[in-house]
Amino acid sequence: MQTAGDEALRFSLRLPGLFLNDLMDIILFILYPLALIGPRFILPALGAHALFIVQSAVRFGRIPLIGLHDTLGFLAFAVGVVYAVAGTKRKRDLLTFIIVPLILLLLAGSRAAPALPGPLPPVLKTVWFELHVLLSFTSYALFAVAAAFGIFSLRQNDPSAEISQYRMALLGYVLFSLAMIFGGIWAYYAWGAYWLWTPKELWTTIVWLFYSLYLHARLVRGWAGPKTVWMGIIGFAIVLFTYAGVGLLMKSSHEF
Amino acid sequence: MKNFFLSLKTTVWTLLVLICFFFAGAYLMPAHREVFAPMNEDILLRWVAHSAAENLSFTWWFFAVVAGLVLLTVNTLVCSIQAVKAKWTRADALIRISPQVIHIGFLFILLGHLLGAGWGYKLSGMMPEGAYAPLPEDKALRLEQIHVQTDAQGFMQDWSAEALLYEDGQIVKRGTLGPNEPLFYKGVGIYLKSLNFDKGPTAVLVIAKDPGARWALIGGMLFMAGSITLVVLKWKKVYSTAKDDERRKGI
Repeated sequence: MQTAGDEALRFSLRLPGLFLNDLMDIILFILYPLALIGPRFILPALGAHALFIVQSAVRFGRIPLIGLHDTLGFLAFAVGVVYAVAGTKRKRDLLTFIIVPLILLLLAGSRAAPALPGPLPPVLKTVWFELHVLLSFTSYALFAVAAAFGIFSLRQNDPSAEISQYRMALLGYVLFSLAMIFGGIWAYYAWGAYWLWTPKELWTTIVWLFYSLYLHARLVRGWAGPKTVWMGIIGFAIVLFTYAGVGLLMKSSHEF
Repeated sequence: MKNFFLSLKTTVWTLLVLICFFFAGAYLMPAHREVFAPMNEDILLRWVAHSAAENLSFTWWFFAVVAGLVLLTVNTLVCSIQAVKAKWTRADALIRISPQVIHIGFLFILLGHLLGAGWGYKLSGMMPEGAYAPLPEDKALRLEQIHVQTDAQGFMQDWSAEALLYEDGQIVKRGTLGPNEPLFYKGVGIYLKSLNFDKGPTAVLVIAKDPGARWALIGGMLFMAGSITLVVLKWKKVYSTAKDDERRKGI
């Protein structure tokens, strides 16, 4: 039985947390745009963001990847990390002007989505789930940067950007496949089925098939070139819909 | 005909067509829940024989996906056999074998789905404490105590249930069920999905026998091993090619 006093106590405990979240968001919204000066200037933002993610994990005692608030924030961070690694030797260019607004957009989405405080539901307390989400969002980040390289390649007619797109997409595909395998193992232990016929699973399969198509088409004369570069861009749009759109519009096994 | 199955163009077009069928399924599935909801309640073959066959106007994409996967399987097999038969050098053995390991992993996953879709069983239901339920293959389940852990706010933090499994009237397995902690016996898994408190503590259980799960797991492991090897080797190769280009350009 909970009393009004308990509720007031919980509210007062929540206030510093809310203030801290606001402060974190403000810091990130200030630091990330510094990357527009040059790719290396993204490092302070990534450092601060990593600290905030660790702080959130410690505060709630769980991996901070539950719900749109957490996952959009993590995706913004992962896109930043992939960009920092892929763009080590790059100067400020079109890629910077694609990636930084994308990160800010993802952060704004995270800010708008309600946070889900508290511990993990019991069914999510397993390393298989943690690997599943961690690898999923890392692969989404790689697909995002692959799409950005694709736009760069088409606009600047730069073959090296196409190679970078391929590398990002290949690594993203491998991590995404691993995420699906780990998700299957988790679902098998939780519900006795490593695969369920739901719209979310179908969309996930579409993403996997689409990047399989991209990787195979790149080896075929007549497909390799602008067609596959476009595929690498469209792929990320499908990823975004699978991640956010399906969750918002359809019921699935991924609702917690 | 052999060239058709051996062609990478066949792979590309089959994947593209499969994606279109999956798009159709992803649109039709939420629009006709009454047809598709039973897909996950029993083994797939029973759904195919009953609901799917009777509702072809909504389920055609499923049969098209199966046909597409059959074509992709033949295409993958023919291409992989051809690649294995080709002359290899010691230097490029790993980079040539790893895609074939990925392909074999993919085929094993499909085999797992096929076995799981046609054989085994899947049951679900609720059992209160002390209940006894007969299961297929002369087995039975008794649910003893249900335990619930709550936090200071009253939210459930964890739950578990003591279960006894019988075969031919004899206890053959005793254990604790929990979230992500099923009880396995001779390929049968007993899963504690959640708890229901409408009429006292009741366990929501799933009992499943999936003969394909092992094959799917082996397939997943092969896919993982092949893809990690491939990505490491490709990364090195693409990187060294890019370095050579840079050197040529004098960057």
